[in-house]
Amino acid sequence: MTDQEGAAIALTLLAEALMTPANDISPDTRLGDARWDSLAHMRLMLAIEKRLARVLTPEEILAIETLDDVRRVLTQK
Amino acid sequence: MSRARPPKPALAPARAPVRKVRLETERFLLRTLTPEDANEKWIAWAADIDVVEPLNVPVRKMTMEDVRAHFRTYDQERQLLIGIFTRQGGDFPPNIFIGVYILAFNHQHRTVTFNVMIGDKEYWGQRVVLETRAALLDFVFDVVRIEKAIGAPMCRNFPAVFNYKAQGWTLEGTLRAHARSAHRPGERLDEYSFGMLPDQWRALKAARAAAGKGALS
Repeated sequence: MTDQEGAAIALTLLAEALMTPANDISPDTRLGDARWDSLAHMRLMLAIEKRLARVLTPEEILAIETLDDVRRVLTQK
Repeated sequence: MSRARPPKPALAPARAPVRKVRLETERFLLRTLTPEDANEKWIAWAADIDVVEPLNVPVRKMTMEDVRAHFRTYDQERQLLIGIFTRQGGDFPPNIFIGVYILAFNHQHRTVTFNVMIGDKEYWGQRVVLETRAALLDFVFDVVRIEKAIGAPMCRNFPAVFNYKAQGWTLEGTLRAHARSAHRPGERLDEYSFGMLPDQWRALKAARAAAGKGALS
């Protein structure tokens, strides 16, 4: 997966988890923001795991706080 | 010549009186639960895998007497059982029992370990823990004079991990394969250890206040 593909998938997964249009999400969107609550966070983590077809490691679980963090986990970069 | 024996140490002081907790936040009421508070909701939560699996607690079919007996196991001194209720004047219908905290105190080391369960799924994603735990952190640091708060969620308890991170707790370690899974025989689970110190909490609150934010994230 390229960075560009990873970024697009990350945006889709985060928008779906936060139940908000993708254009409402910016690089500044982060864990704890208005729509990024605990339930949205759970949806996001499960969606990432489904996409990767594996469970996340403890390090990955902790690392995800922004859109770019999602991309990094998806692309392993 | 025999030496005089040192005086015997004083007997341990009598147990502190039962600690009754009653705290109000903007939307919720927190109060000590007694066996008289046993109710059907607890029975339903204990049997709901969605509620208990993230906590690594086995599913249990409980009777009302089981619940009362369970509530009696909390001495309300070292182990506090605190109910979370919606409050009058908040955003929700009042007096709905939605979850519990268990606070486990180590008075020798002046620490407290937080455990929380939001059993009522209608309140998942409503920032209940961020709001109510803020009040409890004030209580344990300012009233009980605890010197460190500890959180130990399972790594896969994603909502709990969210809440510790969003509230500004410090990750102090990852305990690998720390617990046996209550749901998948043979599997062991990783656990995080989060910590919060009184000065850290006061600084976080001051920073949030300066930014015009309340207890909610």
